[in-house]
Formats: sequence, structure tokens, C-alpha cells
Amino acid sequence: MDTKWTVESLKNFESEIGDIFNSGKIKAPVHLSDGNEEGLINAFKNVSSTDWVLCSWRSHYQALLKGVPAELVKSEIISGRSISLCFPQHKVFSSAIVGGHVSISVGIAMAEKNNNSKNHVWCFLGDMTSETGVAQTSIRYAETHDLPITFVIEDNGLSVLTDTRNVWASTHLRYEEIKSSKVVSFKYKSKYPHAGAGVRVQF
Amino acid sequence: MGKYQIELSKAMELLASNDKTVFIGQSVAVAGTAMRTTLENINSTRLIEMPVDEDFQMGIANGLAIAGYIPVSVFPRWNFLLLATNQIVNHLDKIKEISRLKIPPKVIIRTGIGSVSPLHPGPQHTGDFTEAFKLMCPNINVVRLDSYEQVVPEYKLALEREDGVSTILVEWGDKYAD
Repeated sequence: MDTKWTVESLKNFESEIGDIFNSGKIKAPVHLSDGNEEGLINAFKNVSSTDWVLCSWRSHYQALLKGVPAELVKSEIISGRSISLCFPQHKVFSSAIVGGHVSISVGIAMAEKNNNSKNHVWCFLGDMTSETGVAQTSIRYAETHDLPITFVIEDNGLSVLTDTRNVWASTHLRYEEIKSSKVVSFKYKSKYPHAGAGVRVQF
Repeated sequence: MGKYQIELSKAMELLASNDKTVFIGQSVAVAGTAMRTTLENINSTRLIEMPVDEDFQMGIANGLAIAGYIPVSVFPRWNFLLLATNQIVNHLDKIKEISRLKIPPKVIIRTGIGSVSPLHPGPQHTGDFTEAFKLMCPNINVVRLDSYEQVVPEYKLALEREDGVSTILVEWGDKYAD
């Protein structure tokens, strides 16, 4: 983990990206984080530099906490690659497809186990993704094969504007009902919309 | 055993000669499909039997490749592979552009057009989507193995190429007896 990051400095980074986006200088979507700083900082306390980090379309914080230089993350975002940030040299991969990175994470964990390595895989996913078939399959497979992987569920209760628990007609999600040694989670609320930073930007 | 099947067995042994290859899929480690007969000479430690969940299997293949392996992801029929389309089209085909690695991780995908004789399994088991996948995957080499002479050379190219290009190799179930 890059220990220099604090709740405040992460918020400042994202706020600056939001300002740049609102000015129309980023010609691609961005998905900003807010409110999950503490949960991610706690999760990253266990992440080493040789570990893998797999993310969804909202991954600025994870890249920073993994140790990718802030200027490089910012440059990539401004270049239009926010929704699928990948930094192979830092073992950070993202996918802009729901659940896309989840089974990929399992494959990497399988490789690390086969190599008898001590490297761990950290798969970050949202609450709606955690309910998908591929997430359920991935968690079960990782459990039964005891793969070196942790799924970190960041639960803001929403998928875009869809209420996850409403559409599943359940007050509890699967990760709350069935505890797994491979899953950690936290809940948060974000001030940002699903995409963008609150200002309509015409391209 | 026909020439086509013999050549496929040779091709699998060629793939297994590389320490980085690992075969994953349903009926790779146990009997159950015609393809399995071509894997019988492969050391069982290289064969990973998978749950039936094609997109999950393909995601695992992509992950293994990112971590340095050369996975051979086996789908007995095109119609089954369709369920892995997300991982092939949205991820494997786009990995070079997304990661901007000069040499991206590669996967070798093996699939087939279901045989229609002596049993015809119907339209859900006999599809050929070779041309469609060529259009959907501009960064993947999609090759249909129409003759036994193609088999070993195409698998050799898929294994030995150093440009990170992945390959989908399509075989004909009805040619196993040829």
C-alpha cells in the first residue's frame, strides 16, 4: 500500500479530476469515488506491492493506493482511459464490463497458487456485481480451491441509479447472508453521480 | 483413428511441450467428449477440469494468461463458446488496447463444429460462428481447421508466435474419422 494517501488527499485528488472533467477537458466518461476512502485505506493495509489489484470502472483510488504515481493516474484519466485503467507494471487491471474482472481475478489467483507464490489477488467489486452469477461462482470456486484471493465488496447500494436491494427484492444481499473467508465488505455513500462530476458536459 | 484426430493429438502434445501451457475446460481431465481423446497423452497435472460456466472458464483463462501462463481453453462446441463471448470479445480481444502492453497475454482457444453423423444433435450443437468471430475479434486470429494438414502448423503458430496474438482454432467434429 502507498501509505502517503489519506482520506483527505484521496478526496482532493478526485475533486481535482471532477473539476477537470466539468471543464470539458476529459473526452471520456469518468466514475468518481467518494465516501469509500476509509474502507479502501483499511483494505489496502494488507496489500503488498507484489500483490494484484483488479477493479471495475471506478478505480482511481485503488490505483493510487496500490502505488501507481498520482501523475500517471491523472494522465491516464485525462487521456480518456478512466473506465478501464490498467497499469501492468504495478499489477493493476480494470474492466469496464460488469463482473468482467472478477473471474479474471480467479485465474490470476489460480496461477499464483500453482506457482506456490505468496502473492495475493485483491478483487474490488460493487454490490450489484456481487450478486451476479459470475461473482457468486468466483467466490465459491475461490473458497473450495482455497485460492489466494480476497473479494472486497464496496457497497453503496446502487448500480447507476438502480437500488440493488430493491431489484433483488431483498433487504440483504448474498454476501450479507452467506459469510465467506474470501470476502470483506464495507458500506458507503458517495456524493458523486454514477458517471461524471455533476455537471452536464457536452462533447 | 483418422488422420484429423491423429493430428489433433500431435498438436496437443506440441502445446504440452511448453511448460507454460495448461488445458482448461469441461472433459479435459476426464472422458466425455471427442476432444478428450486427443488429450489422453497429456500429463494429468496439465489438465484442469472446470465447472460448466463458460464465461467463468474464459475469465480464468484470461487471468492465467495475465499471470504468465499460456492457457488452452477448450469448448467442445461453438454453441457452448458463445456463453464465453464477453470474456473473448470484451476482454481478450481488447487487452492490448486496454493495457497498452506491446506483447499482451495470449490464450489459445479450442472449439469445434458439432458432428452431424452418426447422430445429429440439432441446431443448438452444430453452429459454426467462425466468420462472426472474425468480425467481432479483429485482434484474435480465428482459424477453421478444414483439413488435417492445417492442424499441427496452426497450433504451432498459435503456441510459438511472440506477438501476443491469441488464437481461436475451430475443428470439425465430423472430420475425426477422416
